[in-house]
Amino acid sequence: MTTLICSVTRSSFHDGPGLRSVVYFKGCPLKCAWCHNPECISFEQEELHHPEKCIGCGRCKDGCFSGAKELCGREVSPQDLLSELLLDKPYFGTDGGVTLSGGEPLAHAKYIKKLLPLLENEDIGCAIETSLVYFDADILSRMKCVMADLKIWDSDIHERYTGIKNDGIKKNFQKLDKLGIPIIARTPVIPGVDQQIDKISEFLHTLSNVKKYELLKYHPLGADKYASLGKTACDFGVLDENYFKEMQKYAFDIR
Amino acid sequence: MPLTYADRLNVMRDTKIRHTLEKRTQNGYTDIDDFGTVPVPDDYRVLPWYNSENGSFYGFDGMSENFCLILDAHPAYVDPMEMLCGRWRDMLVNYRGDVHYAPDRLKNDPMMQKLWASATGQWSKRWDEKRFPYDDLKPLQAKYNIQTGIDGDAHFACDYRIGFELGFGGLLEKVRKYREINSDKHDFYDAEEKCLLAIIRFVDKHIEKIKELLITETRPEIRESLEKMLKVNEKIRLGAPESFHEAIQWSVYFNCVSRIYTRDGAGYQLDTLLLPYYERDIKAGVLDDETAKFLIANLLLTDPHYYQLSGVDENDNDLTNHLSYLILDAADSINIACNLTVRVHPNCDKAFMRRAVGYLFKNKNGWPRFASDINLCAGYMKNGVDKATARERIAVGCNWCAIPGREFPMNDTVKINVAKVFEVALDEMRGEGSCSTERLLELFEKHLTLAAEVTAKGINLHLDHQWEVTPELIMNLMFNGSIEKGLDASQCAELYTVGIDGAGLAVAADSFGALYDRVEVQKLLSWDEVFSALDDNYTSSENKRVQAILSSADRYCSGSSSADKWAKRLTDLFVSVIRKESSKMPEGRQLVPGWFSWARTIEYGSNVGATPNGRRAKEPISHGANPLPGFRRDGAVSAQSRGIASVQCGYGNTAPLQLEFDPSISAENGGIERVCELIEAHFNEGGTLININILDTDKLMAAHKDPDLYPDLVVRVTGFTAYFASLSPAFRQLVIDRFLSEKV
Repeated sequence: MTTLICSVTRSSFHDGPGLRSVVYFKGCPLKCAWCHNPECISFEQEELHHPEKCIGCGRCKDGCFSGAKELCGREVSPQDLLSELLLDKPYFGTDGGVTLSGGEPLAHAKYIKKLLPLLENEDIGCAIETSLVYFDADILSRMKCVMADLKIWDSDIHERYTGIKNDGIKKNFQKLDKLGIPIIARTPVIPGVDQQIDKISEFLHTLSNVKKYELLKYHPLGADKYASLGKTACDFGVLDENYFKEMQKYAFDIR
Repeated sequence: MPLTYADRLNVMRDTKIRHTLEKRTQNGYTDIDDFGTVPVPDDYRVLPWYNSENGSFYGFDGMSENFCLILDAHPAYVDPMEMLCGRWRDMLVNYRGDVHYAPDRLKNDPMMQKLWASATGQWSKRWDEKRFPYDDLKPLQAKYNIQTGIDGDAHFACDYRIGFELGFGGLLEKVRKYREINSDKHDFYDAEEKCLLAIIRFVDKHIEKIKELLITETRPEIRESLEKMLKVNEKIRLGAPESFHEAIQWSVYFNCVSRIYTRDGAGYQLDTLLLPYYERDIKAGVLDDETAKFLIANLLLTDPHYYQLSGVDENDNDLTNHLSYLILDAADSINIACNLTVRVHPNCDKAFMRRAVGYLFKNKNGWPRFASDINLCAGYMKNGVDKATARERIAVGCNWCAIPGREFPMNDTVKINVAKVFEVALDEMRGEGSCSTERLLELFEKHLTLAAEVTAKGINLHLDHQWEVTPELIMNLMFNGSIEKGLDASQCAELYTVGIDGAGLAVAADSFGALYDRVEVQKLLSWDEVFSALDDNYTSSENKRVQAILSSADRYCSGSSSADKWAKRLTDLFVSVIRKESSKMPEGRQLVPGWFSWARTIEYGSNVGATPNGRRAKEPISHGANPLPGFRRDGAVSAQSRGIASVQCGYGNTAPLQLEFDPSISAENGGIERVCELIEAHFNEGGTLININILDTDKLMAAHKDPDLYPDLVVRVTGFTAYFASLSPAFRQLVIDRFLSEKV
């Protein structure tokens, strides 16, 4: 069995506690207009184009090695992925481990169910970054920590910007809460979008296991990636620092 | 308002920054250690006494006479803001025309130009080739781009306990006593005595200066400080230091004169050696922690000597003490270029480690660095020494350790450029016609063996004659048995575990990896296509494609790549070749392998043509044991750490992990824990030494554009720290490239 992943990033300090190896699964049911990993949206292999790296050899058909054309997405078996993840086992320390990310990792649930026992067997803890569009109690209950997004409160607005209503996501938050796993809820703050962060925060307060609610700053770093996919990134402008600061009153950390 | 210690430290720091900029004007860019020197005054002139017709000076008389000339020419340095006095400005080696160190002020001095012009033959006259020629070794030394160690100096460590016990007066008595016993060694003792008397004159000069300052000084707290300084100096001009203040002031003088002589930068185990003085003074009520801290900060300001902290004793008991903490706090309070090494052992106080890492985050000035006790100690024991001896071997240099007063390791002075060895092997294989990476490895072994043989011959020549060329007259004073026997440290050491470092590992490993992957396994290229691209230096469009194919192969430190496997094979081979050569060394001398390039990556690279890792001719080689920039897209520090841990040579010398990174997490938000875990994991995997720069991206990039914006920015260039503003643009670029490659 194999699945498609975009990449594995080692030594991340930002995708869960401790030092982490992050697996970016390919494919996501959401199409968030601000997504900064647009290469992880499609479930298919894609070719990324970086014309600035082209050396003009005219031998594209024989394969590109300059980095001007790059294949995004590689099939990998759980066993091979484990070998890659084991490289950092000595560095995970007390808190670190593997983070399943993407894309939407839960779209690869069958695969993850093959991978998890291998990681557990090596005593490597797992965390997940998910949109909670899907819910899989078996997988989620085996996570040390779940980082889940609630991006917009109003379901219609949510659909407008992500392509999907969020009623299911809210329900999945409630179901997740019952599993007793520590949850870090997150909202990317997007300029000009009526996200109703106050209501999201209020909702999260009704849950027992949300240990932290963090607001993430929108940044246009994905623009180059969109260009490499032949697409144009939505320009949401510059985030007003004062607004971001003001919204911080809804964030919390009770760890 | 009287000046507080904090006020004084601020002024001292500003003075240091001013000196850094002035030194750059006097010396030009210097891609070397800051050394703690202060600028020379305009009227400073030394007219050396050359006792060799080749325009240089050698031996007991040449070295002692010129040392006295320089030391006597040195003005006293007393800053009323400080509690310690004495600084150095100029070194003996400059007057032998050493191109690597000669500052611009000397290169541009008509007097020096005239003197150097009168010299015949080579530019550097550090070695007396007339008496001890090695023309027979030169062709192979050049062929393999070997830094021979012939003409090296210092690079061992003094046992400061000897000096603390005797003081300058006691040392003088000792010299006079043994002169009577060893009556045939009068040249040696004359030279030692002459040097000691010059040192005492140097102290006296400072005493006069302090008295002069006291005449006009009106601020009561500064008067009090100067009076104390005067008392301390009057005591230690001859007497052995007894108080904490005296021991530190004595260290400053010794450091100064030892630097002037051969720029020796090896310090000592600072927290344990000073502990008895600290405890005695605290108990007697004549010292408080704030004053102790100020004195240590002052010591660190005077010179970035390599000092070790923490670690364990021979029974694995933690050596960390209250003074260890004070030293870290003191370093923080002055926050300048600083070479403190924290020795790490599982039994050591974890809170101390956290404090040390905390300062890396807080100041982002590249200090302290970290050495693994277990791996260094176990490795060194493989040279046939017991654990207690191995434990005494402390970190006192860029990449190296030494047993103070007992070992003569020549560490960091001998290097083989393995990128060059690789190039020679590749050329030979090409001539043979039949090519494979296995054949290339055989030829690499053949040439590495030849390189090791000629290197060993050079080392033996040096060890046989150093005493006649550059006797270590200052360091001898604190070297066991030297004064007693009338022998130079290079002649009477208990241990000669001489370091030979390989440089350019990543270039060789990536080249092997690329040839294996792209030519042999994937068959994307033929050998001829590779050779043709190398000849063309990857210039034509077609050859740029060859370069892209080769350079995009997985690199050393990417994790489980072919290049990673080659790096291990090359390490095993390097160790086996050096140890085999070691077994042939005379008089119990041994050769100890390590990976380290020091700051010579540009120079070494300039001697190597295009290589099959996609590197163009004359580009710098890789740094130390590090991978080349761009080794992984994510620049993962764990990947780098694991790769470097796997290429340790295992005999007690290091293959350092040099990290430059911006972890983008604050100390408070888990940053300290993460870095502590990283250090621990690297050492658990077999690593020996970590030099870390935790840097602020924005500040570094701004400083790269205009270094004068941040004259206080310090980076750990390699084993040593340096002011970023003092580095040449090419060298700054290397630091930036490493940093960008590893940015998390």
